[in-house]
Amino acid sequence: MVKSEHTTKSKKSTNVKIYTTTTCPWCMKTKEFLKAHNVKYQEVNVGEDEKARNEMFEKSGQFGVPVTDVNGTIIVGYDKEALKKALAL
Amino acid sequence: MPNNNKIPRNMYDTIIIGAGCAGLGAAMYAGRLNLKTLMIGDNIGGTIALTDVVENYPGFIRLTGQELADNLRKHAEDYNIEKAEAKVTKIRIEHGCFFVETNENKTYETKTIIFATGTEWRKLNIPGEAEFANKGVHYCALCDGVIYKGKTVAVVGGGDSAAKEALLMSQYANKVYILVRGDKLRGEPINNDRVAANQKIEVITKASGKQIVGNKIVTGIVLDKTVNGSTTLKLDAVFVAIGHIALSQLVKEIGVKTNEKGEVIIDHQSKTNISGFFAAGDVTDTDFKQAITGVSEGVTAAHSAYTYINENEFVCPMGNEDLMVKVRKRKK
Repeated sequence: MVKSEHTTKSKKSTNVKIYTTTTCPWCMKTKEFLKAHNVKYQEVNVGEDEKARNEMFEKSGQFGVPVTDVNGTIIVGYDKEALKKALAL
Repeated sequence: MPNNNKIPRNMYDTIIIGAGCAGLGAAMYAGRLNLKTLMIGDNIGGTIALTDVVENYPGFIRLTGQELADNLRKHAEDYNIEKAEAKVTKIRIEHGCFFVETNENKTYETKTIIFATGTEWRKLNIPGEAEFANKGVHYCALCDGVIYKGKTVAVVGGGDSAAKEALLMSQYANKVYILVRGDKLRGEPINNDRVAANQKIEVITKASGKQIVGNKIVTGIVLDKTVNGSTTLKLDAVFVAIGHIALSQLVKEIGVKTNEKGEVIIDHQSKTNISGFFAAGDVTDTDFKQAITGVSEGVTAAHSAYTYINENEFVCPMGNEDLMVKVRKRKK
């Protein structure tokens, strides 16, 4: 599985995983949002990784990106309010 | 004692609603004209960021939509403007000025508005479209296209957007159909030629989708004609590119005139029928909607707002200087 990990200082101990494609602007916005709030996350590229793609579908029931998994709470798309709620920001 | 010439301390010269090409162009120029400017948008960069390659913005032979959006944003930010990443929920007009409410429960007051909300994707409105949304039905090939690497997909639409979506999808998919309702693909000639030369793309004309079918995910689209011996075309995904709908509901509520498509009617100065209310970009009734034309209308709107502010006086009623504003024509 293709993985990358954002490693700036994190104030959160939350387990966050984001499913992205390389060119998706909403994925970039979601990552910018997480970085701006010092949230550590694991990123998987579903454009390159079929296993990750299937995992994303199992979790979200759909193929649109980004999908963010915050401790089991699944957020489809760039949804600031849902991210804030799930991350207790 | 209240001063009846005082302008409310938090009043903006202009609020730009929308942060795509037109909004960013307007913000850059409003900042350049020293207008106290606030740009409000829930998607800074706008829909151009969803375009793979831009080849028709003068000064840049070729760049990605995201790069163009970033350049426009940086240029606007080079001036002294304020931004709010929020969604406008209501606009009110009182005493010739405007109040803008957002989903973050904030209200801003302004002398002028530049309305540049853009559009949303037009839907097919056929059975299965909503059911399989993001389960094979998509509206952004740049976002979701790569998921269909090696698959068979269709792009529905007959214009240049459909041609470009199909060309992008041909980088991922093994087979790309373009389903055109009319008798030919009406993209720009350069993109029509690219489609014609692309071995993976097949254009099917005079074909309308009647239903999107599947089992958890899309398996095909039912057409109103027979293709390869069946009315059901087997597919892994359908990308919809049949145009856009103007996001103009907010202005209809305050009496801004729109045409039959819901587009805001503007003149050559980006003026609407409401004094002090300007519009720019894809939300307007201009025929040719491109990043460059949106920027042009945004810049024009900023200049018109500047002129309007200089031609009018904004004074506060006695004793209510922070809330109420009246506007009157400046004496020459």
